[in-house]
Amino acid sequence: MALAAFVAGWLTGGGGIDLAWAPTWDLRLAFELDGLAALYGILAAGIGVLVFVYASAYVPRHLAHQGRPRREEARLHAAMVLFLISMLGLTTAQDLILLFVFWDLTAVASWLLIGFDRHDREARLSALMALMVTAVSAVLMLVGILMLRVEYATTQLPELFAVARQSTTVTVAVALIVVAALAKSAQVPFHFWLPRAMAAPTPVSAYLHSAAMVAAGVFLLSRIHPLIALDGALLDALVVVGFASMAVGGVLALAADGLKRLLAYSTISQYGYVVTMLGVGGTAGAAAACFYVLAHALAKSALFMTAGAVTEATGATALSGLGGLGRRMPLLAAASGAAVAAIAALPLTIGFFKDELFFKAALEHGSLTAALAVAGAALTFAYMARFWSGIFLGSPRDAPQPIERRLVWPVALLALAAVGGGIVVAPFAALAQDAAAVTSGAAVKLEAAYHLDARSENLMALAAYALGAFVLVVRGVLSKPLAIVEWVGTHFGPERAYSASLRGLNRLSNQLHDIEVRDLRTRVAAVIVPGAALVAVGVVLTPTEGAYRVGQIVAADTPLVAALAVCALAAVAVTAPRNHLALALMLSAVGFALATAYSLLGAPDVALVAVLIETIFALLFVGVFALLPADVLRREARLRPHRSRQVRDAGIAIVSGVVTTLVVWAAFSRPVPSAGMAERHLTLAEDAHGKDVVTVILADFRGLDTLVEITVVGVAMIGVTALLASRRRV
Amino acid sequence: MNLAFAVVVGALFGSGVYLLLKPDLFRVVAGLVLVSNAANLTLMASGLTRGQAPVQPTQPGAAVADPLVQAMTLTALVIGFAVTALLLGLSVGVYRARHSVDLDEISRQQAADAVLREGREAPHDEEHELREAHEEAIAYDEATR
Repeated sequence: MALAAFVAGWLTGGGGIDLAWAPTWDLRLAFELDGLAALYGILAAGIGVLVFVYASAYVPRHLAHQGRPRREEARLHAAMVLFLISMLGLTTAQDLILLFVFWDLTAVASWLLIGFDRHDREARLSALMALMVTAVSAVLMLVGILMLRVEYATTQLPELFAVARQSTTVTVAVALIVVAALAKSAQVPFHFWLPRAMAAPTPVSAYLHSAAMVAAGVFLLSRIHPLIALDGALLDALVVVGFASMAVGGVLALAADGLKRLLAYSTISQYGYVVTMLGVGGTAGAAAACFYVLAHALAKSALFMTAGAVTEATGATALSGLGGLGRRMPLLAAASGAAVAAIAALPLTIGFFKDELFFKAALEHGSLTAALAVAGAALTFAYMARFWSGIFLGSPRDAPQPIERRLVWPVALLALAAVGGGIVVAPFAALAQDAAAVTSGAAVKLEAAYHLDARSENLMALAAYALGAFVLVVRGVLSKPLAIVEWVGTHFGPERAYSASLRGLNRLSNQLHDIEVRDLRTRVAAVIVPGAALVAVGVVLTPTEGAYRVGQIVAADTPLVAALAVCALAAVAVTAPRNHLALALMLSAVGFALATAYSLLGAPDVALVAVLIETIFALLFVGVFALLPADVLRREARLRPHRSRQVRDAGIAIVSGVVTTLVVWAAFSRPVPSAGMAERHLTLAEDAHGKDVVTVILADFRGLDTLVEITVVGVAMIGVTALLASRRRV
Repeated sequence: MNLAFAVVVGALFGSGVYLLLKPDLFRVVAGLVLVSNAANLTLMASGLTRGQAPVQPTQPGAAVADPLVQAMTLTALVIGFAVTALLLGLSVGVYRARHSVDLDEISRQQAADAVLREGREAPHDEEHELREAHEEAIAYDEATR
């Protein structure tokens, strides 16, 4: 349904929704179905449909293998739907904050999906890793977004594109967003989460790790490309990261044995192409990038589904356990062959054009880029050929189990699309062209056609095939160095840094926990000391001019000052007595002195309530003391704390008292002028048919507050009754 | 007058913190009472006007006290009362469970209990588990290569 809506929307030229979301922050629910949204939306929804069909056959088998109940299937489907919805929201969002919300939703959904096998710790850790890498980097993105907002007072993308100019702030902000995008697309050095995420069930990999989750990263780069293009350094950085990912992904794919691992490394490398082309920029780069995403997503999800089907049929998960399946599963072999050909960019598939556009953009950028592009394409050719021949060629092994047709024909449909795109490229090119126009912010003319002449793109493609075939032939010699590269990557690569930082954080949290929860006192200190330190920093940093005003004391204030003095003295005196009864009485003295002060401040209601409460307090304390055996209290009273501890406690108390004094004093010194505020309340109270303004405020203006307050008191009283009534000894 | 209010609030808060740090549960409760008293006084003193009670009929010409802070203080007072009553009830509960109102003594008891329990089950160590998981993951990589 969503697919139909997106296709129809694209054909009719798109449309948008713009609703107020949080008007005070100028946030709008702005969605727009433009070319870019159409491309990624159609991919996400279209491949999503096929993946759902595939999953309906795959997941019951998967659950049966693990002896889990069928009903868990619903959980997977629910998470997939959540993912699809957030992906569609992400592609159409026109507000950066809204985009961020959907961005994080995709991360959460992918966490649920990767960790679907929740009994398996490997799956849980992989899911956590994917979540940490993408969600922590998303925080950087949020910082970047907020920096843009502070700079230009808007997060609406069209407005930003119109007003943004190159400056250091903008460059830093956009760089932060780019980092998040690269982490999502599993680019170097964040690539390590993707191979791990292969712990997910195959339909999830086919969906998230070909057409959706990792595509979201390059989608974001396309979406904010006009902002990236403001600074040439960012574009160059993208080219470097892209080529690094192509190299790392390609080499590791050549070395990998596990089917899905190979495909994961291949995805890293393929999105490296896209990032490179976005870095190349301009209309050629944008066109190549958008077309590349389209062609790659079709073929790669077909290959993931192939891997799943092969594993279901034979039980083998790695190339070393497979071979000779071509004769047994001809349809699957042909379909995945087409998909492999598409990724390896053979003619008569949609993939040929992706490389043609890629080479064209690279040539425009420079000869070094072009040379590296050929090398990357050669690597792709080599590992793709290895993947297909490893499964379907060679000597046959045991006969495969029969599998459902629903595990095969989604692959066939995607392969059909890939081959169809190689023959009639126009609809695909039109989709990518519209997307590229949004990316580059200018009209794009995307030309994809076969040219039977010796133009450079064709020569580069031929060179890539030849080089790829050569790499494949000498792979046997390369296997040792490849293994070393992989070992170094695992042991010293960014994954190591990830787990080290995770362990370090865990240790730090444990230590803090140990300090904090030793007993009540350390907990109180753990809250008060850092809080007081922060406040003290604030006090020190605040300009002092006019911040502290002593205020005048007139003759009429004398009783008030006297009451306050009694209160302060009594407060200090509470700390002195050892006897509990004396403690309670001193506490009441503080309370009654305060009540007097309230009454002198023109607050009879407050004073009345304070007197009542203080009376009840005194009775309550005495009553509770009466409940306990006298010797317990006496023992407690006789206890003499250690001298050093007493000094430390007194020090903390004095420091916090002084800081509080300063802060409160500063606050009192800056009243907001408000002529006639009290009089306004008086008039309002009259309108509410009340004479006592305080009563009217409590019972009328803030009636709901008072109701909740009464509830709190009621609940507390029930708690007290239960505590005192229970004679049960635990 | 500002300074006078601030000093009294500081004295209330400082004494409250001092009592909060004591091991005696009842002193902790008393400390909380003092801290909430400090908060109440701050609220009251932050009224923008001072003068006669805001009750009709008022004397014309004289200033009227800010009624808003009074309403807030009333709410705070009542909630503070409920919380303190609950805390006192909890203190009695603690005494019934542990036969002591001394936090140091209770922590010692708990530590002793923990030592007894540890004899029966191994301590839970998350860091150790994480490291093990990482090593397992590397081993898994090497096995599937």
